[in-house]
Amino acid sequence: MTAAGALVRLITILIVAAAVPCRGEDAISGRWEGTTRIPDDELNVIVDLAQQNGAWVGSIIIPGLGIKGTPLTDIKVQPPDVNFAVKGALGIQLKLRLDANNKLAGNFEQAGNRAAAILQKTGPPQVEYPPRNTPVAKELEGEWKGDYEMLGYTRHVSIKFTNGSGGATADFVIVGRKHNVLPVDLVTQEGVLVTVDSHDIGFSFEGRLRDGKLTGAIRQGAIETPLVLVRAK
Amino acid sequence: MRKNISGIVVSLATFCAATVIDAQSMFRGDATHSGTFAGPAPRQFHRVKWKFPTGDRVISSPVFKDNVIYFGGDDGNVYAVDAATGRQIWKRATNGPVPATPAIADGTVYIGSYDGKFYAFNAQTGAMKWKFATNGERRFEAKGLHGMQPKDQTIADPFDIFLSSPVVANGAVYFGSGDGNLYALDSATGDLRWKFKTGDVVHASPALADGVLFFGSWDSYFYAVDAATGKEKWRFHGGEDPLIHNQVGFQSSPAVVNGTVYTGCRDSNLYALDAATGKEKWRFFNDLSWVITSPAVAERKVFFATSDSSLYHVVDANTGKPIVRQQGKAFMFSSPVVGGDVVFIGVLNGTLEARDSKTGDLLWDFQVEKSKQNSGWVLTGDRKFNVPFSFHSNWREAPLVATDQQIRIGGIYSSPLVVNGAVYFGSADGFLYAVE
Repeated sequence: MTAAGALVRLITILIVAAAVPCRGEDAISGRWEGTTRIPDDELNVIVDLAQQNGAWVGSIIIPGLGIKGTPLTDIKVQPPDVNFAVKGALGIQLKLRLDANNKLAGNFEQAGNRAAAILQKTGPPQVEYPPRNTPVAKELEGEWKGDYEMLGYTRHVSIKFTNGSGGATADFVIVGRKHNVLPVDLVTQEGVLVTVDSHDIGFSFEGRLRDGKLTGAIRQGAIETPLVLVRAK
Repeated sequence: MRKNISGIVVSLATFCAATVIDAQSMFRGDATHSGTFAGPAPRQFHRVKWKFPTGDRVISSPVFKDNVIYFGGDDGNVYAVDAATGRQIWKRATNGPVPATPAIADGTVYIGSYDGKFYAFNAQTGAMKWKFATNGERRFEAKGLHGMQPKDQTIADPFDIFLSSPVVANGAVYFGSGDGNLYALDSATGDLRWKFKTGDVVHASPALADGVLFFGSWDSYFYAVDAATGKEKWRFHGGEDPLIHNQVGFQSSPAVVNGTVYTGCRDSNLYALDAATGKEKWRFFNDLSWVITSPAVAERKVFFATSDSSLYHVVDANTGKPIVRQQGKAFMFSSPVVGGDVVFIGVLNGTLEARDSKTGDLLWDFQVEKSKQNSGWVLTGDRKFNVPFSFHSNWREAPLVATDQQIRIGGIYSSPLVVNGAVYFGSADGFLYAVE
C-alpha cells in the first residue's frame, strides 16, 4: 500500500468512525412518547430532545403530574445510553437506552422509587425553552423593602434589582423566623408589571411602580397576600 | 383477723384488676386521657396475632373490656371482637362512618357516628339501648383552606378525620359534635342533661378530672366546663389564622394530670394549662407543624408528635423543656401511648412504631402490606410522604384526592391499645391489627 493509499484509508476510517456517533445522536434527537407504570397507575411521558450549538437540550411533559415543558438537566447522551433529570422539586431521573427496535427503554426514577419506562419516537423535537429575564426600568434598579404577615407572624422582604447583559437579575430575601435567600429563576417587566419568581421554592412577587412604591402581592405556594415595597434607605 | 386481712387483699386485688381494665375502656385509657397502660408491652416484634377485616378504613382506636375489643369502622359499623382470637362477636350498623373511639361502661358501648347520631349498645349483644340525634355532623370548613384553590370556595378539611370520643362518668356521657356543641347525656336513657355551645366544630374528645370537662374547639378556644352543670369555668385562646385557616383549632384531645391540662393545637403549639385557672404554664412551638396527636403523660414527661415535620417529642411535664427529639418518617396524627417502658405510635405511612420511653430510640416497627405496595408512589423509597409527587396541584379536587391516596395506603390514625403484652390498632387499610 502506498503512503497516499494509506492516508486515504485512514481518512476513510476516521470519517466512518466519526459518522457512527453522529448517526446515533441523530437517532436520539426527536419527540419521544411512552409510558411508565407505577403501582396502580400509569404515567404518560413525552420527552423532547435536541442538539443546540453542540449541546443537548430538552423538555418533558407528564400530564399526570402537572409537568408541561419543564426543562431537562444533566442530559448525557452517549448512544445508545440517554440519561437526564427533570428540573424541579420532584427529582425525576430517566435512565434510558436505545434498543434494537429504536425505542428508548429503561427506568423512570423518583424519590427512591423506580419503574420501567419505554418511549418511542413520534416526530421531530418540540423543545420548550423557559422564559428569559427581561431588563427592568431604570427607576426600579436598586433595593426595595416591605413587610407582610402570614400564618401569624411578620416577614421582612428585600428585593434588589440589577440590570445586566442578560436582562435583569434580583436578590430576593425574606426574613421571618429564618433568614431565607431565595434562588430567583425569573425577573421580568411587562409594561408596568414587574415579576420576580423563585419557582422551585414556590415564592413570587408581582407588583407595579406607583407613586414611588412597588405595590403588589407576594405568593407563597397557593397563598397570596398584599405587599408594598418602598425604596430601601 | 387473718381472714379479714385476706378479704382486704382479695378486695384490693379485685379493685386493682378492675382499675386496670377500666383504664382500657375508653379513648386514651381513662377519663383523664393520660394515654398510659399498665402491664407488659412488647419491646420486640414477634408476630401478627390476628388481623380483623372491615369494609373501610379504621380510624377509630380500639378499647378493651372483659376480653373484648370494641372499635368503630368507617364502613359504618361498630364492632365487638374477641381479643384472643380476633373473631367477630357482633357488629352494629350506623348510617355513617365511625371514626370515633367507643367508651365502655356499665355493660354499654357509647359511640357517635357521622350520621349525626350518638349510640348506646349493649356491650354483650350489640343490641341498641338508645340513640340521640345531635344537630348533625360536619367537618371543619373554610374558604381557601390550607391554600387550596379556588380560594373563594368553601372546602371541607380532609385532615379533620376523627370524631369526638365520649367520656363516661357519674351517670353521664360527654362528647363533642360537628354542630359545635359539647353534649352531656344521661348514660342510662340518652336524655339530654345539657349542651355547651362553642363557635365551631368539636371533634376533640373531652377529658374529665375533678368534675371538670376539658376540650378544645375549632373556634380557636380551649374550654373548661363544669361536668354537672355545663357552665363554663374558663377558656383559653389559641392561635388564629384568618388567611388560610391552617394554623387554628384544637383537633388534639387533652390529657389532665396533676392539675395540668396538656393539649396539642393546630397553631403548632403543645400547651400546658393550669387546670384550675386556664392560665398558660408553658408552650412548645413546632414551627407551623400541627400537633394533632393527643399527648400521653407518664413519669412527669409528655409524649407527643407532629404532623408535617414528623417529629417525635418527649418534654418535661413541668417545664416543657425538651428531653427527646426523634425525626420520624411521616406525619403523625395517631396519639402515642405509653405501655410500660415502650411508647407506641401510629404513623400515616402505614407503620406502627415502638420506641423506648426513655431514649425515644426505635425498638421495632411494623408496616402494613398496603403500605408496602406503595400505590401511586405515595411514599418515597424510604417511606416518607412523596409530597411533590402526590400534591402537584392545589386546584379543585386534586389536593383532596391526593390526601385520600395518602390515607388509603394504610395510614395509622388510630391510637394503639396495649393489653396483656399485645398491641391493638386500626389502619386505614381496613384492618384492625393485634400484634405482639
